[in-house]
Amino acid sequence: MKTFAEQKFPGRLVAVEGLDGSGKSTQIYLLKRWLELQGLKVYFSEWNSSELVKSATSKGKKRELLTPTTFSLIHATDFADRYERHLVPLLRAGFLVLCDRYIYTAFARDVVRGCPPEWVRGLYNFAALPDLTFFFKADLEVSLNRILEGRPQLKYFEAGMDLHLSTDPYESFRIFQGRILEQYLAMSTEFGFHVVDANQLVEKQQVLVRQLLSNKLDLDSFKRADGRRPSPPAPRRPSPKTISAESES
Amino acid sequence: MKRNKEQIVVPSPTKRRFYGHGIPGAELENVAGRLIVVEGADGSGRSTQIVRLTEWLEGCGHATVQVGLKRSTLVSEELERAQQGNILSRTTLSLFYATDFADQVENMILPALKAGFIVLADRYIYTLMARDMVRGMDPAWLRNLYGIAIEPDAVFYLNVPPEELVQRCFEKNTALDYWESGMDLGLSRDMFDSFMKYQTAVQKVFRQMQATYGFTIIDGSRSADAINSDLQKRIEAVLAGKLVATHSS
Repeated sequence: MKTFAEQKFPGRLVAVEGLDGSGKSTQIYLLKRWLELQGLKVYFSEWNSSELVKSATSKGKKRELLTPTTFSLIHATDFADRYERHLVPLLRAGFLVLCDRYIYTAFARDVVRGCPPEWVRGLYNFAALPDLTFFFKADLEVSLNRILEGRPQLKYFEAGMDLHLSTDPYESFRIFQGRILEQYLAMSTEFGFHVVDANQLVEKQQVLVRQLLSNKLDLDSFKRADGRRPSPPAPRRPSPKTISAESES
Repeated sequence: MKRNKEQIVVPSPTKRRFYGHGIPGAELENVAGRLIVVEGADGSGRSTQIVRLTEWLEGCGHATVQVGLKRSTLVSEELERAQQGNILSRTTLSLFYATDFADQVENMILPALKAGFIVLADRYIYTLMARDMVRGMDPAWLRNLYGIAIEPDAVFYLNVPPEELVQRCFEKNTALDYWESGMDLGLSRDMFDSFMKYQTAVQKVFRQMQATYGFTIIDGSRSADAINSDLQKRIEAVLAGKLVATHSS
């Protein structure tokens, strides 16, 4: 598998990965604002899938129809839809695309569910690799506490209940997330993740992320032709975010 | 083989295998049922043959179940709608079909085989792979994807030349089908032309796959009766545990 740069795309893709509650969404949001304010062609992929695929995925989840294999396949379908309709055209048009989660989320999650790693990787090998991947590594307890503090309603699949790790959804979620973290760490060297210590303060992390991005990419080459800066976005919804929105990808 | 009407052939359990990585948690030990696939283009007489085979098998005392493409609980409706609008790109549609197939393997084919049923598949992974290969998708990617498929006991490919297929299609319907004419490929704006080119290309891919997957090629230009008695003879051999020849006379 090759990166977008290696495949001669004019655009570049930056992905953030990490457990729910690692703070990666906050970091990528701040990164996006910084890039936008410099007048760069930046796009945050919001992972909107087509109605059709979404309808099948939510039916499968709601009615608990999914097995490890169909869970993996339906998410690959969803990813392919966004990849072909959304990411590829943006990268062809020379955008700097920021992704909150990418194929590594599937690699980690599907393997924890018992799918053979080679099979899962094979499914996704139509997709180019990110040009830069940040992995936000927080202590398992830190991320778990951030999510579980509010005692959210955990959904069946996001708590990993289908794996029958525990009959208690919170306990199941803890074990499930622990296993996903193991998978991430195992992939870290292989895919050259830039590991960010997510136990640090938000600002400290952001400094590192911005530095690394400026070093690795020629940011000036993504300047908008009109030099216009986009209007400020609508205020973000107050955190803490529900994990259902985040762990969807 | 001579058979008395009172005698029922009892198939013995066989060791089965998946084409590739298989399905996590699925065991194929001591499965008594048989999986028989009938492949062929629309208008090749597939459905007629399957109806008649079911009747015949049940008459012989075999519990029979039918599966086919786009028949899963999980995604069949969405797939149908996707085809109406032609809104999904290639990889997405391909993975969507694979999801439909996997759902049927896990919820229909495997349980039926375990219960000792004869599963008649009205098309299988070969049609899905051939369609995608004609559309330029990577055969290695497809082989990995469909490593979840159970290897059938026999695959009968009803071969009918495109010139004859087109005549049969007009006997059934007033118009040619968009997808069966490969109109999405832009081979020709003339639908008749496109149909001929597309079906010729699909048949070529089937002939290439024949060597790998050992189809029995059945001359589909003969009468329905002649084809049916040919198929019956071959299936009797399968049920008696004999190997099927890969070429028809």
